[in-house]
Amino acid sequence: MSKRILAVEDHEENRRILRLLLASAGYEMIEAVTGEEGVAMAERERPDLILMDIQLPGLDGYEATRRIKANPALRHIPIIVVTSYALSGDDVKAFEAGCDAYVTKPFVPRELLAKIREYVP
Amino acid sequence: MPADRGHASGRAVLTGRPVHIPDVREDPVYALDALQDAGLRSLLSVPMVRDGIPIGAITVQRWVTPRPFSDKQMVLLTTFADQAVIAVENVRLFTELQARTGELGRSVDELKALGEVSQAVSSTLDLQTVLATIVARAVQLSGTAGGVIYEYDEDTQTFRLTAAHRMDEELVAVLRVAPIRLGEGATGQAAASRVPVQVPDIRDEQQYGATRVRSILVRLGYRSVLAVPLLLEQRIVGALTVWRQETGAFAPEVVNLLQTLATQSALAIQNARLFREIEEKGRQLELASKHKSQFLANMSHELRTPMNAVLGYTDLILDDIFGDVPAAIRETLERIKSNGHHLLGLINDVLDLSKIEAGQLTLSLGEYSMGEVIHAVVSAVESLAAEKKLALKATVPADLPPGRGDERRLTQVLLNLAGNAIKFTDEGEVSIQARASDGAFVISVSDTGPGISEADQRTIFEEFQQADSSSTRRKGGTGLGLSISRRIVELHGGRLWVESTPGRGSTFSFTLPVRVERQAERA
Repeated sequence: MSKRILAVEDHEENRRILRLLLASAGYEMIEAVTGEEGVAMAERERPDLILMDIQLPGLDGYEATRRIKANPALRHIPIIVVTSYALSGDDVKAFEAGCDAYVTKPFVPRELLAKIREYVP
Repeated sequence: MPADRGHASGRAVLTGRPVHIPDVREDPVYALDALQDAGLRSLLSVPMVRDGIPIGAITVQRWVTPRPFSDKQMVLLTTFADQAVIAVENVRLFTELQARTGELGRSVDELKALGEVSQAVSSTLDLQTVLATIVARAVQLSGTAGGVIYEYDEDTQTFRLTAAHRMDEELVAVLRVAPIRLGEGATGQAAASRVPVQVPDIRDEQQYGATRVRSILVRLGYRSVLAVPLLLEQRIVGALTVWRQETGAFAPEVVNLLQTLATQSALAIQNARLFREIEEKGRQLELASKHKSQFLANMSHELRTPMNAVLGYTDLILDDIFGDVPAAIRETLERIKSNGHHLLGLINDVLDLSKIEAGQLTLSLGEYSMGEVIHAVVSAVESLAAEKKLALKATVPADLPPGRGDERRLTQVLLNLAGNAIKFTDEGEVSIQARASDGAFVISVSDTGPGISEADQRTIFEEFQQADSSSTRRKGGTGLGLSISRRIVELHGGRLWVESTPGRGSTFSFTLPVRVERQAERA
């Protein structure tokens, strides 16, 4: 059975790119548009990995990451935080929130795939 | 008695010499008939002379029987007169001294009060406190029953009561509720005419005119009023008004004193207004700056999002996700990609610079290895150097101490300097040297490029400047890189500069404290 990856991303275009990329590599992608939805979907769907955008309407990516990592049932799910051009301190904040890895946009698809494969072969 | 020749004293004073009248009945000029009738016969009068001016006379008399005075008696009386002059002079001096002492005391009090007022004006910007101090001193020094200071409101042309001292509460309440209008009463008239106005008797309608507070003033026992306008270059800012319970004119010293205090009050009001204005401007500026920063942050996010999508799709195609890509399309896509990255770089630079301008660029301080930073930069740019067939060298001593600073920002600086060096050099080499001494790293990037003229060396660190503006188009770049780099180095407490001779290459160097524990206040 193919591995399932949850993408929490508010921009349709970015979700489309991720969908194309992950499909090409044989992953199944499920999607959430807001931070709240991302947390709820992580609880319900128990994905194998989460790609978390930071700038989200409402609950931001840091807080969503923190909530997922605070749940003992979900803590093991690797979270890769994806931010736009990182301002100083964003990486620190992301790791403080408990993410496992960190990539900045624009990401090179091949490199993101490599990063994902480290956690979900 | 008039000083005339009709009597002995008058004659002594007029002549300034002793006068001897052996028998008044034989003196044709003697005019005091009443004394003569009463039996006055012989007279000796000696003038009292001070500094050649007669100030009185001593006269001795004989009654009933005329008997002339002897020379000896005349000398004796002259001596008495001299003594009397000294005594009179002493008394006069003493009285004068007392008067002067009193004046001096008042002057000292006034000076002390003015000192206090100046102190209050300069030390506190709390207008209420300053004006309360001034009106209290004004009432004390003028010996009046009470007083107030008004602030003038130009829009409504009325006087708002700001401070009061020893004034009846009822009057204060009335003045607060129904402010005095310009031209009304002593205060309104003083302001309108811009000179002090006094009313020696408020009850006299001809003097005071009918005002709303007149009946209250009279009922409360106030009888005279002095109002002094508060002026700033002939502009009305308020008034200082004092009341007495006695009728009569105010002494010129009191008017002068109140004018001095009025000047101080006007200055205090001006200071307070300027301060309020500055505070308000400061708040507006702060808000504008916040809005600007927020706008730029939002804007750059909005600009980056679609650009990221463009680059993302391009990468997907280049990664052969949709199958093999023909060479011509691949090459075109590579161009789309490199232009996209360039645009993104511009957006990021503008964001960086606006954050620095807004004082919002915060360094993320952490441990780093300068050797690794240089190594990372060399690997990032070596393909660029190779494309231009330039030699790229890095000299890094193995024993560089571990650094503390913002590794990502320092990498950005070095990447900018190395990138520029490669961009502007057509043949030869680009070399990076690093050393540490006296607790600071010294990093230099040298090239064998065209060099930079002295005039251009001064402007290249300014925003949107490149040595030759035509090169911006030819070489690419925003012209923001050096400006951002210099600010980042300065935020670390370091310095970035250039040394160059046209035709002989350039060296950009920066110093940097090895251990940066705190961000510099202002870049």
